[in-house]
Amino acid sequence: MDIQLSAPGAMETEIRLARPQKAARASDFVSRLQVMQTILGAEHFAVLRLSGHGLPSARKLTLSLHNWAHEVDVNARALMEAYGPAMLAHLEASMLPLLWEGAGENQFAESGAEPFTARLPARLLPWSGMAFPVRLGAHGNGYVVFLGTFIAPSSDLIVDMHMKSCQLLIDMLAGEEKKLTPAEALSEREIACLQMAGDGCISEAIAEKMGLSVHTVNAYLGTATTKLDAVNRIQAIAKAIRLGYIT
Amino acid sequence: METIRSDTAAWESYGFSAEAVERKSARELLVQHLGRCADHAGLSSGLRALTDYVSASHYLLVRHDAAPEAGLEAVVASDWPFDMVRGIAGALLASQSRTSELEKCLTLLKPCFSHLDETVTAPKGISREYCVVAFHVGRVRMSLLLLFPEHFILSQSKLRDVGVMTGYFASVCCQGAILRQDREMELTDREVECLYWIAEGKTSDEIAVILGISRNTINNYITSVMRKTATKTRSEAIAWAVRNSLV
Repeated sequence: MDIQLSAPGAMETEIRLARPQKAARASDFVSRLQVMQTILGAEHFAVLRLSGHGLPSARKLTLSLHNWAHEVDVNARALMEAYGPAMLAHLEASMLPLLWEGAGENQFAESGAEPFTARLPARLLPWSGMAFPVRLGAHGNGYVVFLGTFIAPSSDLIVDMHMKSCQLLIDMLAGEEKKLTPAEALSEREIACLQMAGDGCISEAIAEKMGLSVHTVNAYLGTATTKLDAVNRIQAIAKAIRLGYIT
Repeated sequence: METIRSDTAAWESYGFSAEAVERKSARELLVQHLGRCADHAGLSSGLRALTDYVSASHYLLVRHDAAPEAGLEAVVASDWPFDMVRGIAGALLASQSRTSELEKCLTLLKPCFSHLDETVTAPKGISREYCVVAFHVGRVRMSLLLLFPEHFILSQSKLRDVGVMTGYFASVCCQGAILRQDREMELTDREVECLYWIAEGKTSDEIAVILGISRNTINNYITSVMRKTATKTRSEAIAWAVRNSLV
């Protein structure tokens, strides 16, 4: 039984390793979201992504995909005002899906996966909803949100939908990958110098360890800075860590 | 006659759906069980259940935010033989810091298989291959490592389930530990703000203009960051901040 199951899984892994050349288009994501929305019995979906690197106060969730049509401005603002800060804080601390009940007569939101869902204050919005937090790491974090009047998924469904939500944001990130990699690859020497600089060595110390002159070390750090499109050594180190050249 | 046939149809459809429910409920039962474990802070029994669900034999849960020199601090829970934990925890953390941030993002919840180091002796009947599933609990990246019997193939889809469910479980069970770590190395908002602008390549003078405070104050903030984080240079302090995803 296990062997049968894992065969297609292994194939799928291989396909994902050789990532498609053409980036998946927004319409592909929308159709996947529509399927998920139908399964959950929701009426609308929204994908929120975390933008703004750095300061917690500078980070915010921005709407990147939705099916609200012309009501988008009003609805997005309502959602952000009601739950934006709570969702931001939650993304920093937990992986549990969020659930809330909307205002009105026939609103219902219940999770089959207690205690593994977190409730937000009820009756702030005209719709009930469920939000799956997706934290991928340094890039591409966000939420996949489903809205409707009757949201009551089983634990089975929640796990499934959360997994699909993660995959969706992973695929969206993979599509943007090109923008994140530097134009030109760094040389080994440049990487070695950056690594030591990041470990707290001054140029003189790096020069001594590598058996080079201080000027050469500074030149390496200079070219690395240019290649990484950074303005100075410190920004180059920050970028090199984010891109995985150094640790 | 008509009634009998419709009864049979009903019975058949019931039988079919009953079977489907039974197949699915393994996951639902697991979520219920985890729910009970979370109440009793039964981290190990919950992880045991997750391990059994994929038919693996031993679990090891590590967090990747601990300093590399902290060694076993990174291990959250485990029922691996102690020598193996000691052998693998360091190697795993080192390999994690060699992968780029982007690669880490794209491989979330994707089961990866690796081989144990030659020097490590595995218990009898246990495969030298092990499986790693990574996930995020808020800002903290964690990995679940599973050992399994020799000549045994784990189901990919179940491994993904386990990734999500371990994430949920850890979100509830380890929440205290995660928050506590955050508090310990608390920097003030201003200090983080300075770090952010330095990582963006700004000089003290520029930051002074941006934040509207004196250049000396900025330098004081940075000195205080370097003291708190035990780093020797600005570069190292920024490298530290990037590694801990503060900026």
